[in-house]
Amino acid sequence: MSMDEIRLEDLLADVFQPVEPPERVSERLSRRFASISDAAATDLTGWADELNDSELESLRDPRNWVRPVVAVTAGGVATGAMVVFELRRRGRRRRSRLDQTIGGLRSRTGL
Amino acid sequence: MEEAAEETTEAAAEALPVESKEVTDRGFEQLYRDHLRDVYSYAYYRVSDHHDAEDLTEQTFLQAYRHYPRARRESDGRSLRPWLIRIAHNLASNFYRDRSRRPQTPLDSIEPPAARHTTESIVEGRAELRAVIAGIEELPEERREALIMRFALGMDNREIARAMGKSDGATKVLLHRAIKQLRERLDADEHG
Repeated sequence: MSMDEIRLEDLLADVFQPVEPPERVSERLSRRFASISDAAATDLTGWADELNDSELESLRDPRNWVRPVVAVTAGGVATGAMVVFELRRRGRRRRSRLDQTIGGLRSRTGL
Repeated sequence: MEEAAEETTEAAAEALPVESKEVTDRGFEQLYRDHLRDVYSYAYYRVSDHHDAEDLTEQTFLQAYRHYPRARRESDGRSLRPWLIRIAHNLASNFYRDRSRRPQTPLDSIEPPAARHTTESIVEGRAELRAVIAGIEELPEERREALIMRFALGMDNREIARAMGKSDGATKVLLHRAIKQLRERLDADEHG
């Protein structure tokens, strides 16, 4: 490498100095993660409340998985976990069936 | 052939045990701490505006979080920084497409850093830096992007290749051409 090239690389390092992000970037991200998780959990909670036993049964059919998949996808991994947590509050009978369904969903979709 | 290898890697990654949420979140938090400045710097030099860079950084980490468990499974222990920068790269491309524009004043707020020597060398140094900045603005986007990754983020050729979806060889050529074009531009300035 010639002296000119070394000099140019030094100048490029001066031009492209790393830029420190403002503190508010972290604050914004925390708020976004929290709001996305809340929204998806609320959606799933409302949806689970509406279900009767026959509807729960119908969830064994993958053709009926669109809504929970959308909700789980919206929130990502943490929301998926929150959703399962919310559903676990729905009583033992419901819990075991829904957990199986969500578990199946997650393993099939890789979410 | 390449497709088959990719499928094999994917199948192998799927076969790996899924981490607990706690482990996943801890890993993501570490990734965030380690690379927030990288993502922000990259975003800033791509969009040339702090407000847009903040948006881009936020979107990058939101998208990264969504796909993090899988990326981690498939990373085979390699750094996830190129993957993160690739997300930012794709989002920045969409950013321009959505707004149907390129930065109007690229590198506009970049001022040559204060020099530490004599008045004469300060003046010379600043002129030299201004010439480099002007040269960078004339580079094709891909070359400029490779320079951002190399000099603002300190990425090596292999990392840049992964972030840009290119081979190591193509990346080496890309960087070489970027520097050569800049060198020629500076020479022309000097002798013109």
